[in-house]
Amino acid sequence: MLDAPLSFWLDQTINGVVIGNIYALIAIGLALIFGVANLVNFAHGSVFMIGAYAGWVCITRLHWPLPAAMLTAATLSAIVGVLIERIGLRGLYDKARIAPLLATIGISFTLDQIVQLIFTATPQGFPAPLPEQRIPLGTVSIGLLDVLIAAITVGAALALFGFLRFTRLGWALRAAAQDREAAQQMGVDTDRANMLAFAVASALGGVAGVLVGMYFNSVYTSMSFQATIKGFVANLLGGLGSVSGAILGGILLGLIESYGVALFGASYRNLFSYAMLVLVLVFLPQGLFGARRALPPEPLTGTFVPSGGRVRLPRAMMALTIGAALVPLLSDNPYLLQTLSSAFLFALLALSVTLVTGMAGQTSLGQAGFMAIGGYASALLVMRVGVPFELALLLAALSAALVGSLLMTPVFRLRSQYMAIATLGVGEIVNQVILNWDAVTGGALGLSRIPPPTFLGAPIIAPRDVYWATLVLLVAGGLLAWRMAEAHLGRTWRAIRDDEVAARAFGVNLARYKWLAFLASGFIAGLSGAFTAHTYSYINHETFAVNTSILALTMVILGGMGNLAGAVLGALALTAAPELLRAVADYRYLLYGLVLVLLIRFRPQGLLGTL
Amino acid sequence: MSAQPLLKLEHINTFYGAVQAHFDLNLHVNAGEIVCLLGGNASGKSTTMKVILGLVKPHSGHVYFDGQDITGQPTPRIVRLGIASVPEARRIFPAMTVRENLLMGAYTRSDRAGIQHDLAEVLELFPRLRERLHHPGGVLSGGEQQMLAMARALMSRPRLICMDEPTMGLSPLFVERVLELIARINRQRGVTIFMVEQNAAMALQIAHRGYVLRNGRIVLEDQAQALLHNPAVREAYLGGADVL
Repeated sequence: MLDAPLSFWLDQTINGVVIGNIYALIAIGLALIFGVANLVNFAHGSVFMIGAYAGWVCITRLHWPLPAAMLTAATLSAIVGVLIERIGLRGLYDKARIAPLLATIGISFTLDQIVQLIFTATPQGFPAPLPEQRIPLGTVSIGLLDVLIAAITVGAALALFGFLRFTRLGWALRAAAQDREAAQQMGVDTDRANMLAFAVASALGGVAGVLVGMYFNSVYTSMSFQATIKGFVANLLGGLGSVSGAILGGILLGLIESYGVALFGASYRNLFSYAMLVLVLVFLPQGLFGARRALPPEPLTGTFVPSGGRVRLPRAMMALTIGAALVPLLSDNPYLLQTLSSAFLFALLALSVTLVTGMAGQTSLGQAGFMAIGGYASALLVMRVGVPFELALLLAALSAALVGSLLMTPVFRLRSQYMAIATLGVGEIVNQVILNWDAVTGGALGLSRIPPPTFLGAPIIAPRDVYWATLVLLVAGGLLAWRMAEAHLGRTWRAIRDDEVAARAFGVNLARYKWLAFLASGFIAGLSGAFTAHTYSYINHETFAVNTSILALTMVILGGMGNLAGAVLGALALTAAPELLRAVADYRYLLYGLVLVLLIRFRPQGLLGTL
Repeated sequence: MSAQPLLKLEHINTFYGAVQAHFDLNLHVNAGEIVCLLGGNASGKSTTMKVILGLVKPHSGHVYFDGQDITGQPTPRIVRLGIASVPEARRIFPAMTVRENLLMGAYTRSDRAGIQHDLAEVLELFPRLRERLHHPGGVLSGGEQQMLAMARALMSRPRLICMDEPTMGLSPLFVERVLELIARINRQRGVTIFMVEQNAAMALQIAHRGYVLRNGRIVLEDQAQALLHNPAVREAYLGGADVL
């Protein structure tokens, strides 16, 4: 590849710059919102996707000219952006930053699902309404669309720069970004400033959506999350909140991806962005160009743990466990038992989140990565090495604990929303490595025909047996977590959660205790992943994806942060309930998203209260 | 003195969660006065400022500005009525230039010519700022930032300026200059000034009247000269030790 002709590399450069321009357009919006609201807006990708669909409808269905379609997409996206700010975020600005971040994740789930319900998940073809003319440029050529993309990005960037630098409203935005309260004392209506920032950012995002749709000739709902990540990485590279940095960061990311894909193959594309996400966040928090300042300071408490009445039910727990064990004797409906089994495995994952996030205060959006390590380790040990399942399960959980907590080590120094984003990155890196490590993991094909779990050599296949096995695992995990929570270890974790600086002043070795939290949580999540792999019999790099991590965190918030019984309750409520109420099963992510937004807004202490 | 005070706080009770910060607080500032609110740490001084500016809503009681009830109104609206603020720790916009900071002070105004005129005038009053007009606010020294904060407050053509500890963290030389400027703003431009200070001895020298706040209650109210010579005040605030 390296001896390819120069024109090949020039082509890659042009591709990279064009894609980079689109990333820049997304990143500018994220930077604007971050600057004004000090918030990483995870719903930005959804706005981008809505813009793409709006453009697609205007062009392919209504046959409108391109400028009209662009304008419609921008307007609709701006409206959605304003609604996001108004409904989802206002009222959360004085909370720990992780709260509005989670709210935007919930909004993103909701919006994505709504679009999917309207247009189905099938990608829609999007022919670019531009002549197929290419402009020759020496040995290479540039398409009209490439020129249009570059022109729109540069134009938008210049207009935004002028607006921020030379208009009264632009000054108000900058003032609000630098010091919200002081801006109010100058007479700036900061709520309106926020709304304006969201409107402008979202309009740019919507335009980027239309451009991406035309560039790749298709629109699809899952483009949303990738756009958020790419935009965020571009923003991070250029220095969070810096509009000019976002442009450089976007183009740089586009080039890195383009060259990387040329050298290693298309499946590596996302690995670069996730790797950069974690590396830049941890080692270069001010970005590549911003020498000025590090990440804005976060409050001392690491996470979003509101105080709230705790509901105690130790006796009830025992009774419920015994009751749960008796369920298969009362009903052998396989559907019911399977649903509950899968809910128990989710509850185990939720327990792992409770340990690390609820107790130790380290908001983790990477728990699915632990599950993936556990699942792959166990399946590979049984299939390739011939280890009996019972031993493989234990070894897999240990590997998830060790490898996972080691991977998380670099993020220990981060706080609050940066911690959450970096853990998300680590979780996805695990999946990207699985995707690209063909020799061991089977790559994109995944692992199929994984043998079922066994107990003393006898396979666990019957729904009733699976049910009991998962219940035993859940109880074991719960007891382990409970032991740690009640011990010195749990108290130290809670001290770190409530005030990291104070905990350190009392001699607590923060890194060690955070590592222990991820170790314990990795073990429990690994157990869940390993058992899941053997019951599914087929897994690939998307089985344990970021949605699973987010869902697990939602369960924990629903049940009450740090509350073990709450984690189980949250898992049952969010997995078993929608499944049993068949009617809402199709709207599952809509439900998850709404639950997350409403909880953070109205009952942040969850159902059973924070512990 | 006019019959109606420019600023009046009536029966204010303020809470932070379960902690009460003000107990039936009453005070008033007449037009043209410099009134100084004295008090030690955690006496409720800064909270008083926040209540006036609408940054903290009192649990009960009323704030009147020029006879109009402004209790609990949004801060931007209160500012538009003619109250400017020199916030605690100055709160300069660090990434905006000195000029942009000053123009932010005139954010509520739309008379371009008037703004330009006032800009020239405050630069006259604070010549140091003219030299640094195109530097970011964040690189200014503490004293310069204090000048900028006061100049910024003047840019809105306020009737009342609320100053929260304008001499905090300044060198003794600067303290004197800042207080002298405050007196000048009051005298030459007729701007009413309500200031919160820990530095009682200095503040009382330029003030007309003063209040002493202790644990959220007004415990003393008098003419500035009388307070300056009041043995109780002397002991508590002028002896150097912040015991209250």
